[in-house]
Amino acid sequence: MTETNQTVFADATEHKGDVIIELEHVDKFFGTFRALGDINLKVGRQEVVVVIGPSGSGKSTMIRCINRLEAHDAGRILVDGIELSEDVKNIQEIRRETGMVFQQFNLFPHLSVMDNITLAPRQVRRVPKREAEEQAMSLLERVKIPEQAKKYPGQLSGGQQQRVAIARSLAMNPKVMLFDEPTSALDPEMIGEVLDVMKDLARGGMTMIVVTHEMSFAREVADRVVFMADGQIVEVGTPEHFFHNPQEERTKLFLSQIL
Amino acid sequence: MTTTAGPSARIPFYRDVRVLKWVFQVGVFAVVAAVLYWLWGNYRVNTESSGIPTSFDFLGQPTNFDIPGADFSPQERVQNAYVIGLLNTIRVSVVGIVLATILGILIGIGRLSSNWVVSKLSTVYVEMVRNLPLLVILTFVVLGLVLQAFPRIEDAWTPFGWLVFSNRGMGLPWYQEVSGLSLLVLFAFGIGGWWALARWRHAVSDRTGAPARSGLYGGTFLVISVVTGWLVLGGRIDLPTVDGPRVTGGIGVDPSFFAVLVALVVYTASHIAEIVRGSIQAIPKGQGEAASALALSGFQRMWNVILPQAMRIAIPPLGNQYLNLIKNSSLAAGFAYFDITNVTQITVGNGSPAVPAFTLALMFYVALSLITSVFVNIANRRFKLVER
Amino acid sequence: MTSATSRSAVPPQRSRALIWIRRNMFRSLLDGLMTVVFGTLGLYLLVRSARFVFVNARWEIVEVNFKLLLVGRWPAEHLLRIAVVIVAMAAWGGLIAGWISGRRIRAGLSFSSGSGPGARIADLTRRFGLIFGSVVLMLLLTDTAGPWLMVAGAVVATVLSLMAGRWLGKRPTGSPWLTRGLFLLVFLVPLVLYFYMVDAVPLADWEGFLFNVLAAAAGILLCFPLGVLLALGRRSELPLLKAISVVYIELVRGSPLFVLLLLANVSLEFFVPAAVAPSKVVRAVVTFTVFTAAYLAEIVRGGLQSVPRGQEEAAKSLGLSPFKQTALIVLPQALRNVIPAQIGQFISLFKDTTLAGLALGILDLLDGARVVTQQPDFRGLGLIIETLVFAGFLFWVGSFTMSRESQRLERRLGVGTR
Repeated sequence: MTETNQTVFADATEHKGDVIIELEHVDKFFGTFRALGDINLKVGRQEVVVVIGPSGSGKSTMIRCINRLEAHDAGRILVDGIELSEDVKNIQEIRRETGMVFQQFNLFPHLSVMDNITLAPRQVRRVPKREAEEQAMSLLERVKIPEQAKKYPGQLSGGQQQRVAIARSLAMNPKVMLFDEPTSALDPEMIGEVLDVMKDLARGGMTMIVVTHEMSFAREVADRVVFMADGQIVEVGTPEHFFHNPQEERTKLFLSQIL
Repeated sequence: MTTTAGPSARIPFYRDVRVLKWVFQVGVFAVVAAVLYWLWGNYRVNTESSGIPTSFDFLGQPTNFDIPGADFSPQERVQNAYVIGLLNTIRVSVVGIVLATILGILIGIGRLSSNWVVSKLSTVYVEMVRNLPLLVILTFVVLGLVLQAFPRIEDAWTPFGWLVFSNRGMGLPWYQEVSGLSLLVLFAFGIGGWWALARWRHAVSDRTGAPARSGLYGGTFLVISVVTGWLVLGGRIDLPTVDGPRVTGGIGVDPSFFAVLVALVVYTASHIAEIVRGSIQAIPKGQGEAASALALSGFQRMWNVILPQAMRIAIPPLGNQYLNLIKNSSLAAGFAYFDITNVTQITVGNGSPAVPAFTLALMFYVALSLITSVFVNIANRRFKLVER
Repeated sequence: MTSATSRSAVPPQRSRALIWIRRNMFRSLLDGLMTVVFGTLGLYLLVRSARFVFVNARWEIVEVNFKLLLVGRWPAEHLLRIAVVIVAMAAWGGLIAGWISGRRIRAGLSFSSGSGPGARIADLTRRFGLIFGSVVLMLLLTDTAGPWLMVAGAVVATVLSLMAGRWLGKRPTGSPWLTRGLFLLVFLVPLVLYFYMVDAVPLADWEGFLFNVLAAAAGILLCFPLGVLLALGRRSELPLLKAISVVYIELVRGSPLFVLLLLANVSLEFFVPAAVAPSKVVRAVVTFTVFTAAYLAEIVRGGLQSVPRGQEEAAKSLGLSPFKQTALIVLPQALRNVIPAQIGQFISLFKDTTLAGLALGILDLLDGARVVTQQPDFRGLGLIIETLVFAGFLFWVGSFTMSRESQRLERRLGVGTR
């Protein structure tokens, strides 16, 4: 997929490298409301996929299905060869391999920054305390706030909290990172610092699915952009094609509204 | 600018805010005092005219009544009866608080369980019990359960030969032949060992990452050390048996104590369950989701993330329920349990002056409430400190 | 909307049901075990209670003593007065409810017929069906036409007055005298009805469930002035007032109601002039009032704290006197915010009225339930469970319905959510 720009945009299965996440005909209902309809998506290893679309289009629901924060009602979801089923063992295995960053950070307010980061490695992976703390410190350095380790979440700014949340997810050494609108709850001046961390991650070769409204991030970092509306994937393509040569009317309308 | 500060700006006293405030207060105080004085005056006149004493001298008089289950003779002074009553109130309250808390937490968590059967059953329990008067439950337990459904002493129900159930009393196995003091020392030793083991296990866990399981290790040590120590000291277990019209051996549980305890626990647990549920639900959904996304198991999520935060919210209302339980235990007086209210009622019936006697009982309750709130406040502050 | 309907929209029913069972009952081994254990327990209890209610129970003890349990020894020739009062109170309540909802409609806060009559009836059934069902059940226990007529009258009165109230409320308030007249009616009607009843049967003889309901209502109404004053006192900056309020509130809240009732039983006469001989009912109501005032004070204090400081400051800056700041601006908002908590207090007092039966020997519903088992016809038959179930059921229906209504109100007022 160099610069040939033909009908590939409508093909939701196009990806590079071997597949790590696979969604096949995924449906999700809230009561009788169809939140996701026939979602098909394959994500390759080390690929960065940015999901955009109007609010209520099912973007968050889709990535929340990938680590089973929502249970899908039909279709198949595979992460690194493991299928999400009703089996608790599979669910836990997939959650160990996927990190998730939330819009509202969801740091644990009763634990210090250090304890927030080391909780899961120690409880789930049974990493010795010292090792977990060393790893946490190096992660905090990576997100550029090593000096905050002893503080509690309530004492940090929004941007710092979100960076701690990213470090907390990375501490499990996930193969995939899911970002659910990571900058939407931040003050404008803090968005940059979080996006920088995410760009570093992407350059480091992390597989990422990012739901966001930051078009600059999509342009700069994404390998592919997925546009969703009304619970369906409308269009998939590289950033250049997506922003400069969209095929679907729905996409054009959306882009004209936000750009 | 400065003219207003001159002497011409002196405010007439009837317009001075400071004066008015005090006038108002003194006025209100005067009204309250007048009402109290009126009540007090009536009391003096009425008691004098009917020759009723108003002092606390009655405490030194002999009681002229018997307290079953206690080593107490009718010749002893009223004040000793008060002490026994107070201890009985404390006994049923402490046991009740512990059991109600355990049951309430289980049911409260059960209501939020993803298991449909468990959550529905807990909901039915809470909604049914919470909306019934405590006295209906208590009457039911005493008259419907203990006196009616429990077997008579002649054909007492004795499961495994270890327990005795009858409407004249219950028996549980109890220790024998070892003094309470040495048992206390054994327990202290066991708990000390628990603490040391827990520290060691946590150190190991920190070093290797293996789960600490300090409760398992410590608990086992406690049980083993107490049981072996007690066997070495030559202790035996005394099993309860039915001996004619009475239950002997073991430790006897008064049917009235049992009934009051059951009613208080059942009733208070339903309220505690609601508090637990409310506090857990007050934790933002994102907390649980973040824990799930980190692959924490259901138990780990509850124990490490949800409960510590829910505790903080639950403590003040939980303290209120404890106070309610203590006060509600006074209903025991209506069902032949010798708590402080019952002692007061009987001694008043035997001729002690009502107002001083009941005032004394009320003072005990207020004191118990104050002590409990002190504990609650300490707990509250501790959990706040963890927060920030 | 491109291809939303291309695939089968909803997975087949059977597999959905299976998935539901799997997710909600057999998620893991432990989960399945709990389902089996507690499911068995639940079924067992259900079967046991159903067998008791429909097969084994001997409800004739309730049937025979129906009147005694509900109104005690109220003379039969004066039963009509109770019926009149119930119908009048139904009309009174309907008028108020209708007027409030009419005012809300006029203010654009809610709409008169946003949903069809079917949905309205479904809503009302869900909210009050339990009460209605138990009323019908009790009517079946009676053997005269009177109670049927009374209930029919009450229903008709409620509906008519609801409509009248709504019509009045929706009208633009023409003259202030209409509003004032309505307010006067709100206070006068219960008072008049009280005298109408007390004229026939002295207060001391009000017994049965009637006592429980009326004592709770009287307690919560009478404690209002004292409770509000105590709340204001506790919040005030004036040290003496604050001290008096705190001492009163904490002393009463530390005391068990049961002990206070026992105290009132043997010693209330000492505190009033010898000429006054308070009856048991009066003793009970006085104690309820004194007791509930302290709790109400705490509730109102919470409400006062929930009113933003800016409200009082705005009132001050408008030049209102301290009294008017409180009475016109702060207090109305505070009281409105704590309506759910006040209902909760009323429920708890309603349940606590049973203590008066035990402490003072008033023949209330619960005391009646105990006494009737000692009647010559029933002594030794062990029918206490039947009577207790009946008494408990009445209390339960009342407080369950009220607590659900208060939750509804809480959601609507948007308070209590933090």
